[in-house]
Amino acid sequence: MQPTHTNKRGEEMGMDEKPSVLSVENLEISIKLEEGLLMPVRGVNFKLYENETLGLVGESGCGKSLTCKSILSINEKRCNTTGTIAFTDKNDTTLNLLDLKFNSKEIRDIRGNRISMIFQEPMSAFSPLFTVGYQMVESVYLHITRNKKQAKDLVLSSLRKVGIADPEKRYTQYPHEFSGGMLQRALIAMALLCNPRILIADEPTTALDVTIQAQILELLKQLQKDYGMSILYITHDLGTVAQMCDRVAVMYLGRVVETATVQDIFQNPVHPYTQGLIGSVHKIGGAKERLFSIEGNVPLAMNLEDRCSFYDRCIRKDTKICCNKEPQLTQVGDEHFAACYQPEIKARGGSQSAG
Amino acid sequence: MQDKQTNTDVILKVEHLSKVFSSKKAHIRAVNDVSFTVAQGETVGIVGESGCGKTTLGRCIVRAYNATEGRILYRAGDGTEYDLQNIDKKSMQKIRKEVQMIFQDPYSSLDPRMTVFDIISEPLRANFKDMPKEQIEQNVKEMAVKVGLNPSYLKRYPHAFSGGQRQRIGIARALVLYPRLIVCDEAVSALDVSVQAQVVNLLKDLQKEMNLTYLFISHDLSVVEHISDKVGVMYLGKMVEYAPSDMLFAKPFHPYSEALLSAVPIADPKVSMQRIPLTGEIPNPANAPSGCFFHTRCKYCKEICKTQEVAFVEKENSHFVACHLRDEVSLQGIPMEE
Repeated sequence: MQPTHTNKRGEEMGMDEKPSVLSVENLEISIKLEEGLLMPVRGVNFKLYENETLGLVGESGCGKSLTCKSILSINEKRCNTTGTIAFTDKNDTTLNLLDLKFNSKEIRDIRGNRISMIFQEPMSAFSPLFTVGYQMVESVYLHITRNKKQAKDLVLSSLRKVGIADPEKRYTQYPHEFSGGMLQRALIAMALLCNPRILIADEPTTALDVTIQAQILELLKQLQKDYGMSILYITHDLGTVAQMCDRVAVMYLGRVVETATVQDIFQNPVHPYTQGLIGSVHKIGGAKERLFSIEGNVPLAMNLEDRCSFYDRCIRKDTKICCNKEPQLTQVGDEHFAACYQPEIKARGGSQSAG
Repeated sequence: MQDKQTNTDVILKVEHLSKVFSSKKAHIRAVNDVSFTVAQGETVGIVGESGCGKTTLGRCIVRAYNATEGRILYRAGDGTEYDLQNIDKKSMQKIRKEVQMIFQDPYSSLDPRMTVFDIISEPLRANFKDMPKEQIEQNVKEMAVKVGLNPSYLKRYPHAFSGGQRQRIGIARALVLYPRLIVCDEAVSALDVSVQAQVVNLLKDLQKEMNLTYLFISHDLSVVEHISDKVGVMYLGKMVEYAPSDMLFAKPFHPYSEALLSAVPIADPKVSMQRIPLTGEIPNPANAPSGCFFHTRCKYCKEICKTQEVAFVEKENSHFVACHLRDEVSLQGIPMEE
């Protein structure tokens, strides 16, 4: 497949027929520090469509968690956020979430209700001081009903749905009486109470064992079908991405560097960073050759030069081409966009030899 | 594989090792009757879910814990064999130089108030009290270069380094004594994928260069498959299977190994997972089930499994398994490409 170059920004191209639930455009987050201006998120663009799972993949410090928190505006107050985050609800009303005032009623109506989030550490997402039932029923009181009996029934049915046995007993228990996997289920049940349009899952299985991880991922897939919601799945684990997502956006240093369908990301990655990431994961049963590793470390997002941000670590870097400006996402294939001046399709990222 | 099995090459032999933690309320057998051998120059991976006793096993081997029962036979560099459970202080000091450990969390395993030079040189200063300063400095610098740290950074403190660089410091500290056996306890689990690949490659290079033997404890099965020659699977303190890596991954003999392998997410969207579900949760180790520990969650479970304890036997050439039904059921592994 020959990459076709266009100058238009990726997200604006030809996919607008599909209704998007969430559209993030030019999202920038900056934090003022004593040492200077830190730019952890520098112009993120992506769209989340109905009923799909979009994987947001990147290493620590690439800005993926900040991006997601800014959707719910739960970032720290000192984060200065600009851009648009357009959220389209079921009745086709579109709202720019960044226009809403900090902690206004509007954003609180959306948070936990239309868009909910599950966190990485179930143990720290729940307060140890209150029973799990009490913490869950809170959001029902806030968003749905003040009727105690109805609220409790709703929580119990939600707990049952995520496969927690004996929910009446669990309702009155404290978080420490749950195992990690059970607590993550309870967290998912809590996120689904209000039948949200979007579920943001921030590394939901990183703290769990493989067997539990597989259970939770299967549960999420099943619930997505039942509830008809979109999932924004944040992770650094490419294995779970391959099993969970429909589309993938790869982030590096506060920017999306490549978006494509999950098949294209794994079979025809074009950005050198994506290729490196995939090459550095060993596939069980595959050839035991040396792992490909990306040289160097992620630089600090401060005082960056106006050139490709991956330049220092890139194996294809070229002073003439790459140093002019930060590359924008351009179309390289069907539903496939990359921010690279020299996009190059490689047969399989995993099979390249040592670098 | 075969020639490595000869007796002279065995560097570590663990026999019926158990470790019991006791409190007023309960006795927990964190490691329960574990036996296996490690040959010189091999990497042995130990896998299992959290709470299965793999870390305790590693700590018993470096004698950070005193095991309750069993023997740990270690063949030192000069050819003499020591039982680490039953050893005089002087010989133990000698062994400490040969057996080192790399820890999981590169953020908490380095003292924030020591410079990198102090951290890496500490084992030298502790073990060779009369080593001249210049010699120490030279050794530390050499090791820093070997693990890919810039020697000019040695005067800095750990907070100035990224996770991957810190793990390199931890590795340099373990290697500066030129050990023979290294216990890596989740040595790459806290690192990002691309950095993980760097550290795994580094460990492999150093192994070749210095003829190291690794005991690689991890819950990440794809890393273990990549790095290990042999793999041991633990469940509830017991080793349930021990075999050469490709044999275990391609054709496991224990139902728990089968379920564990089927749960690993494969980084390839074309492969759909055929997960073999495990019912229930890990039983409480203070109140372990009767018979085979795994019978409460095993889909092949029969009457014999509930009542009779199960022995750890060699079913095929160097493939050990603890299952009553080892000859009856045929289990699924992961198809190998090679």
